[in-house]
Amino acid sequence: MISQKKASYLFIALLFALGVLMPFVVKKYHLNMLTEIIIFALYAVSYNLLLGYAGLLSFGHAMFFGMGAFTVAVSLIHFPGLSMWNAVLLAIAMTTAVGFVTGGFLLRHKGAYFALLTLAFNSLFYAVATKWHKITGGDDGLSITRPDLHLGFTTIKMAGLTNFYYVTLLVIGAAIVFCWYFTKTAMGQTVLLMRENEERMKFLGYNTNISRLILFTFTGALAGLAGAFYTLHFQFVSQSAISVDMTTTVLLMTFVGGTGTFWGPILGAFVYIILQNYLSDITDRWPLFMGLIFVVMVLVIPGGLSQIILSIRNLASGKRNTGKPVAAEESSS
Amino acid sequence: MTDYLQVQNIHKDFSGLKVLTGVDFAVREKQRHAVIGPNGAGKTTLFNIISGRFKASSGAILFKGQDISGTPTHVRNRQGVARSFQITNVFQELTVFENIRSGVRSRKGLRYNFFRKPDNDRRINERTEAIAEEVGLKGVMHVPVSALSYGQQRALEIAITLSTEPELILLDEPTAGMTREETAHAINMIDRVTAGRTLVIIEHDMDVVFSLADTISVLHYGKILVSDIPEKIRNDQRVKDAYLGEE
Repeated sequence: MISQKKASYLFIALLFALGVLMPFVVKKYHLNMLTEIIIFALYAVSYNLLLGYAGLLSFGHAMFFGMGAFTVAVSLIHFPGLSMWNAVLLAIAMTTAVGFVTGGFLLRHKGAYFALLTLAFNSLFYAVATKWHKITGGDDGLSITRPDLHLGFTTIKMAGLTNFYYVTLLVIGAAIVFCWYFTKTAMGQTVLLMRENEERMKFLGYNTNISRLILFTFTGALAGLAGAFYTLHFQFVSQSAISVDMTTTVLLMTFVGGTGTFWGPILGAFVYIILQNYLSDITDRWPLFMGLIFVVMVLVIPGGLSQIILSIRNLASGKRNTGKPVAAEESSS
Repeated sequence: MTDYLQVQNIHKDFSGLKVLTGVDFAVREKQRHAVIGPNGAGKTTLFNIISGRFKASSGAILFKGQDISGTPTHVRNRQGVARSFQITNVFQELTVFENIRSGVRSRKGLRYNFFRKPDNDRRINERTEAIAEEVGLKGVMHVPVSALSYGQQRALEIAITLSTEPELILLDEPTAGMTREETAHAINMIDRVTAGRTLVIIEHDMDVVFSLADTISVLHYGKILVSDIPEKIRNDQRVKDAYLGEE
């Protein structure tokens, strides 16, 4: 019997191997979708670190996603010859700074006030993206050409999808694995303990305000990285990347997948993107059907798809489903 | 010998309601000091002020000669002050082990690290286990708190208080709600685990107070009526009138 730790590593390696094989198996259309899924998976995972692990309900996560997306587009347009790495690093630096500053304002408040303030900030950023036509392109958006990837000894052409897919798999995949690792680290556990009992944490020598700010900034930077790859993937960005709709998207992905597990939101991103693609092929009114599916899901299975899977697994192994937030249980192993 | 903890002229108003009206007392190093007084005398409020949960309206708290009245709660803990709560205040969804480890790793400086896992730190895990053993919870170390008995949860409350290796321990009614038998057991345990440290304890149960404390302050209507050794307190007429006589 292998340990759970080994099983986790094995599972990750298997997923990566599967990812590497995909371009040989699936059509271009599906590879396109898969790239999008990987990018949104990181976006959803970063959101769940806030919502599921820290218990912070934010309606402003798109401001980081959009900020990362726009930083890449604007910097590639205004600095010709800028490498892809530097554009991505710039996006991360920018979202880290924005996360730190906005976090300083937002985290003074809790619960509903915090949620509403994040919504207000998101709208503010959206308004700037719409009105500042000269920089952001306003309603027209910005088109870019994906720069080739210089590795020093060789240059990888980025014009085609397959190469970009591999870079996405590697970079975004590594970021997601780091997030998973993060939940087991001292800081990840601190976040979890704070959700359980913030007051006691203060009496144990933890500065809970700083902890929250660090986490908020960290998740903002992760969303920024996802946003940066979003622009690189579509080679286009418009104000929709920073809109409240983009926040709703991540909220739905996370809820559909389930906030109780680390991998729930990844599953959520997968299902969401696929549903969106197929429904939009069938009807123009796809948001209506998406909405209905989510309403039913939230009402019937509030724990999301991951809850269903865990219930089935527990049923199979004869364990009773405790119905507790699984993040706490999972991290204790 | 200088006083280890000095509480100087502490006042506390809650929107006009005067709870503490000039509390003064001092505790020497390694002393075991009990604060007693009738319900509503302001004992827990006093603890909240010493531990940093509330700010005093006026007055000062000196710890090892340093004024800590304005320092935030988490800094006071790092300086060596730890407290327990009258109403069990732990991490209900987590295991006993994780509850205790939260303080152990804080003490060892492993609070916000993005790379190191507490699971892999042998020193921290061994210390956690040792504390669990001290309070008699080693057998249920990997059980979630919600599955513990009341007495075990009270023991955990003390274990968490000990987990940051404090020099000054504040215990707020550690035996509240326990049966006679459990109380006797708890006194024994507290006596053992706080040996060699400075202890301030709030208690209702006179058996606990007289068997643990070597000095006692009586808090009455927001003021310290008298501070003395247990024998003198037992025979003090003012104390009898205010408190002991009622029983």
